[in-house]
Amino acid sequence: MATYKVQIDNEVRDATPAEAAQIEAQQAEAQARVEAAEAKAVARQAVLEKLGLTEQEAQLLLGS
Amino acid sequence: MGIPSGYTSAQVVQAVPTGINSALVLISTTTIGSAVASVTVSSAFSSTYDNYKIIVSGGVASTSSFLKLTLGATATGYYYFGIYGSINWGNTPSGDSAANTTSWVGGGASTNSLTGTIELTAPNLAKNTSYSTIYSDNRTGGTHIMYGGYLADTTQYTAFTLTTNTGTITGGTIRVYGYANS
Repeated sequence: MATYKVQIDNEVRDATPAEAAQIEAQQAEAQARVEAAEAKAVARQAVLEKLGLTEQEAQLLLGS
Repeated sequence: MGIPSGYTSAQVVQAVPTGINSALVLISTTTIGSAVASVTVSSAFSSTYDNYKIIVSGGVASTSSFLKLTLGATATGYYYFGIYGSINWGNTPSGDSAANTTSWVGGGASTNSLTGTIELTAPNLAKNTSYSTIYSDNRTGGTHIMYGGYLADTTQYTAFTLTTNTGTITGGTIRVYGYANS
């Protein structure tokens, strides 16, 4: 597990193992969300290309 | 009290009338240390105010990322929806949402600066806390972002934590303000 520094008010100290685990869990979840969003955007673009539509035309048709 | 140079007596406030209170009161200022992954402000909320504004400014991040916001020690039950866009994308924004997740999106953390203008409703009341934030990822091609959401519990919080999504943050300031209840 990586080491992290955390700040509580004005005191900076090394994260406890529990705090480090929580930081890494949050980072992993956020990264998964980013990757899912990117995959969705790529899939959307692939469909648009298959249909021969631009993003702007898709918005006019689908409203999103 | 003497009259300061350049003023007439009519321009000098002699006393603040009873009942006149500042609407927005600075509660705390926290200077972010060096290369920290998270910052907790432990005495931010109390029964004095129902609603709060948190402003994050200055400082830098070690890598372009964002700041996650959590209340107390709670690591579940955060719901949010956001919309964001970039000048590089033209006029097409993107959306982002999460249900029952581990944190909210609180602010930006770029290598140029840290940003965040967070509004919290009722964090110290025995009600769901709702939140919103507006910030910019301050770099060329960075995104401009608005999020809103709520926390699905009724815990009465006194503390909050901002945690980097990745990397560390250095410097900058977290200011907490309370909105006067009356």
